[in-house]
Amino acid sequence: MSYGLALIYGVLKVINLANAGFLMLGAYVTWWMWSTWHVEPLLAPLVIVPLFFGVGFLIEKFLVRRVLGQEPIVSLLLLFGLWLVLQNLAYTLFTGDTRSIETPFIDSSVHLGPIQIAWPRIYVFVAGVLALVALQTLLTRTQLGRAIRAVAQDRDAAKITGIDVDRVMGIAFGLGIALTGFAGSLLSLLFSFNPDFGRTLLLKSFCIIVLGGLDSFVGVAFGALALALAEAFGVRYMAASLQNLISFVVLVVVLVAFPKGIAGMIRSLRRA
Amino acid sequence: MSDVILSGRGLTKRFGGLVAVREVDIDVPRGEIFGLIGPNGAGKSTLFRLVAGIMAPSAGTVMFDGHPLTKKSPAAICVDGVVATHQIVRPFRTMSVLDNVTIGAFFGRRPQPKGREHARAIATEVLERCGIADRAQKPARELNLAGQKRLEIARALATDPKVILLDEVLAGLNPTETDRTLDLIRSIRAGGTTIVMVEHNLRAVRGLCSHLMVLVEGRKVAEGLPDAVLADPTVIAAYLGTSVHA
Amino acid sequence: MRKPIVFAAILFAAIAFPFVAPGAEYAIDVVFLILLYGTMSAGWNIVGGFAGQVSFGHAAFLGIGAYTTGILAQHSVPLPVAFLVSGSLAAIFSLLIGIPCFRLTGPYFSIATIGIGEATRLIALNWNGLTGGASGITLSVTLPIVTQYFLALGLCAVVVLATIWIQRSRFGFALAAVRADPDAAETLGVNTTIAKTQALFVSAFILGCAGSIYALHYLFISPDSVFGFSTAIALVIMPIIGGLGTVTGPLIGAVIYTAIREQLEANFQNLDLLAFGLLLMAIVLYEPKGVLGAYQRFANRKKRVASTPAAAPR
Repeated sequence: MSYGLALIYGVLKVINLANAGFLMLGAYVTWWMWSTWHVEPLLAPLVIVPLFFGVGFLIEKFLVRRVLGQEPIVSLLLLFGLWLVLQNLAYTLFTGDTRSIETPFIDSSVHLGPIQIAWPRIYVFVAGVLALVALQTLLTRTQLGRAIRAVAQDRDAAKITGIDVDRVMGIAFGLGIALTGFAGSLLSLLFSFNPDFGRTLLLKSFCIIVLGGLDSFVGVAFGALALALAEAFGVRYMAASLQNLISFVVLVVVLVAFPKGIAGMIRSLRRA
Repeated sequence: MSDVILSGRGLTKRFGGLVAVREVDIDVPRGEIFGLIGPNGAGKSTLFRLVAGIMAPSAGTVMFDGHPLTKKSPAAICVDGVVATHQIVRPFRTMSVLDNVTIGAFFGRRPQPKGREHARAIATEVLERCGIADRAQKPARELNLAGQKRLEIARALATDPKVILLDEVLAGLNPTETDRTLDLIRSIRAGGTTIVMVEHNLRAVRGLCSHLMVLVEGRKVAEGLPDAVLADPTVIAAYLGTSVHA
Repeated sequence: MRKPIVFAAILFAAIAFPFVAPGAEYAIDVVFLILLYGTMSAGWNIVGGFAGQVSFGHAAFLGIGAYTTGILAQHSVPLPVAFLVSGSLAAIFSLLIGIPCFRLTGPYFSIATIGIGEATRLIALNWNGLTGGASGITLSVTLPIVTQYFLALGLCAVVVLATIWIQRSRFGFALAAVRADPDAAETLGVNTTIAKTQALFVSAFILGCAGSIYALHYLFISPDSVFGFSTAIALVIMPIIGGLGTVTGPLIGAVIYTAIREQLEANFQNLDLLAFGLLLMAIVLYEPKGVLGAYQRFANRKKRVASTPAAAPR
């Protein structure tokens, strides 16, 4: 999800609060397909990724593009509105009950020496890493990826060199949403969820992005690691219910201390 | 140089590995029009921002009337009497032209105006000086480029500066507009305000400035009276050398 | 100069209302809620509208005000004292978060405020000794609804007068400059950090006082009610519906918000937020100046039609 956010922000310079909504929807679509049609949850991303990509592309085309030239706060509010719509649509369709997915695979685990690891965790980890590698390859090795990065750096210059900037922005937004839906689908294997699912995670992924710097992908991975460590250590010293607080505190501290993110800080240190 | 109002010593600015300005000393004489010229990418605008206090130098100090400016906030520097215009115009787009200038009058002056009407009166007077009083009620975004550049100058003037720094205020203007702006700059100087200007238009600079400084690749290469500086072989070489690429 | 007369008339009508409608508890209750929400909305507008710093964390100030009154009332502190302490604590808290957060600009500030709002909710939820945790605080004082009504009316009037003053003062110019272009404002001598911090301080004080009234009205406060996300959303939505950075816009927004919520909440759960989300999107896309902006455009068109064609363009 953090990658989805970072991609959208980097290319469009728009902060997408609606991502929390799509994350939640990703989880719900997975659950819904499993409970109505008995679709194996592990296969759900095959549907979700293209579907969400299409939805994201259309949202960019019909909503976001209209406010792109305006102050950043306008698009922030627009997507905030979209998030409210998605969240409460889910409340209406799926009720506020907490859902979870249970299949034999999900309950299985493997013994690695003294530690027991649940299979789904391994699966999610591997899938996450694969998605990251795929995204990185897409961005660095393909023509489309180069176009996306060019638009992220300088929209006007990209336009001059003949890149179809509008299409690239639509694709980037679609990719961002698709990644988020993918993340939601994966997370539904690990956690139970309700329509408010995305909110805490949204804050966490902002925290991660801020830690890593808003347009650096390696930074995002680094930020995720840092936050996970902070939470793991924090839990030792305080109540588990305060775990979520840690990410907010980290968020605020980092935003204030290093507005460019840790990656930005390291970069500027290296230069100086 | 008898009376220096604004001076910099050993000013250096690095952006990562790139050194934009390298150990430049600058002395702006009181009451004069000081021109800062150089080919594209010479570090003029960077030096300008350092001197105006908008950007902090990596090394060196800036003194204004004997007091250090480095480390003060841009707002405090403005109140002290040093104000800069933006190279790319930045009016408060939705506000009226008058309100734009009123903000300068309200916040940049010492002593403060006695109230809204007083600040408005100052602003109106400045607009008349700058020749845009007829458009006072228009939203700033409706002015053309020449008008917006004038508005930049008017806003700065309303703060009652001792030194005003102008960043390429002539760029993009047609000959008539250029002449009117040159007249305005002369009248600002006649009012006792020192002027520092970054400029590309060498012909305008030659006729206007009393003192020139040339920057090439972040270093000062020449300084002095305009005619002498512009005849300097290193300056000519620098300009010819880069104008081919430009 | 018709405006002062209109304001006076509305104020007079509001004062007279409980006397002409005795026994109409429900009607008084609804107007009371509109006044309370109008106050909150106008308070938010000082930071979000005038200074252009959209905050999703203002529920924190409301919550601090409500909890302060709740806790002080438990210890039998006189209510007027509790009321003022509530506002003051919220204002002091605003300094604590304003000083770091205002180093951030635009969207970054907004994100940080989501974190602030969520963090205060979690603290209220977990600090059992002080806040009663998830079970909240129940107040044992009862104020007659008419007293509550006048308290809300008074606060609302103060806020409206304060916003009118801000709009015309040097402070208002500073906030307008901050909203339009903080960097340019700074080079013209506006100390943007101080201006924003002052705006947040005033805004937080108002919300703290509103929180106090909230506690006295509902007599029960829990982390999810006052610090909850839907409260934070309401605070953002009302001024945007009505018209950001205006005096009357936030009040109009409060009327519309309360009306829609009263209708939908009773009948369809969650549809209210769905509707507000759609409304928010529609306003951002089509009418960024809110209902007030739409009204002004409509009025202008009418005026243009009425005047003779020769006199119309200026």
